[in-house]
Amino acid sequence: MKPHFRIDEVTYSHLLGRLNDLHVTDKRGTLPDFIFFHKDEWLADTAVIEELTRHKGEWQVNLVFAHTNNPMRFIRRQITSYSCPRKASLFASLMRRLAAKDQRGTQAISINDIFVAQN
Amino acid sequence: MHNTKEKIVLASIKLFNEHGVASVRLQQIADETGISVGNLAYHFRNKEAIVSSVYEKLFDEFRQLLSTYLLTPSFTDFDMQMSGYFEFFKTYRFYITDLFSAEHPLPEIQSEWEMFMNKMILQIRNRIDFHVSRGELLPESSQGTYHLIAESIWMTLVFWIPQQTIRRKPVTEGRYRMAVWNHLKPYFTQKGLDTFELISPVLSQN
Repeated sequence: MKPHFRIDEVTYSHLLGRLNDLHVTDKRGTLPDFIFFHKDEWLADTAVIEELTRHKGEWQVNLVFAHTNNPMRFIRRQITSYSCPRKASLFASLMRRLAAKDQRGTQAISINDIFVAQN
Repeated sequence: MHNTKEKIVLASIKLFNEHGVASVRLQQIADETGISVGNLAYHFRNKEAIVSSVYEKLFDEFRQLLSTYLLTPSFTDFDMQMSGYFEFFKTYRFYITDLFSAEHPLPEIQSEWEMFMNKMILQIRNRIDFHVSRGELLPESSQGTYHLIAESIWMTLVFWIPQQTIRRKPVTEGRYRMAVWNHLKPYFTQKGLDTFELISPVLSQN
């Protein structure tokens, strides 16, 4: 007989537990679950950070709106893209000033305060 | 249409069920298949190769049965798996001698059985947890109760057919499934009872 891959009993039991959870977590959401879509007052206290990324041969302008007290509370929006990096950088700066509540930039946070797990 | 190799394996399963693995001779297998012993030797070099092939088929089927764990989040899912177990244990009745033999000619078979039986118990135990989390079974009153229930259910699943056979009682799938459900019924909540009531027409159809 060909030897088969085996897992120990504890791991198998964990695996079954996760399968159980699958049916609990994958249930249809209720209306209160979507409340965060409408609860956007926190956006009033956000600092805006411009971000340029290379995407499909163009420089894409993204704006990150991060809460000044809790930088991990943020949203990232893709605005537009340009083929010229200088033009992209200039427009990103203009867009940031346009979007920011505080145009002088006193409400500022560093992009390094936002940690996003890449795994 | 089965090819000769498959025919030999099927004939061997039939003979193993009737006479036990140890007492079946190659001549019997050849006669049952309707081929000569020479032809049999062409396909399988010895009896051990046939036995190994039979177990490969048997364990493949068992693996498939285990993979049907909680495909749908309902009692019917367990019921469907029970039907699978019934068919399996009825088809391979010789498993019972394997489970009780102190020494098997192929030691890896014994360890495979051991692993599968443990997995069966773990699946039943986790199924109970799942239905408890859905509020269909009562929470465990004292620690370890549901583990014992899982073991009892496993015993019913595995040994119900042989015990009926020993007592020359009818071996029907309906009674087999009810014997298992009866272990769980005392632990049903009202929601569990309602759900069971709701699906009972479906259960009787399976």
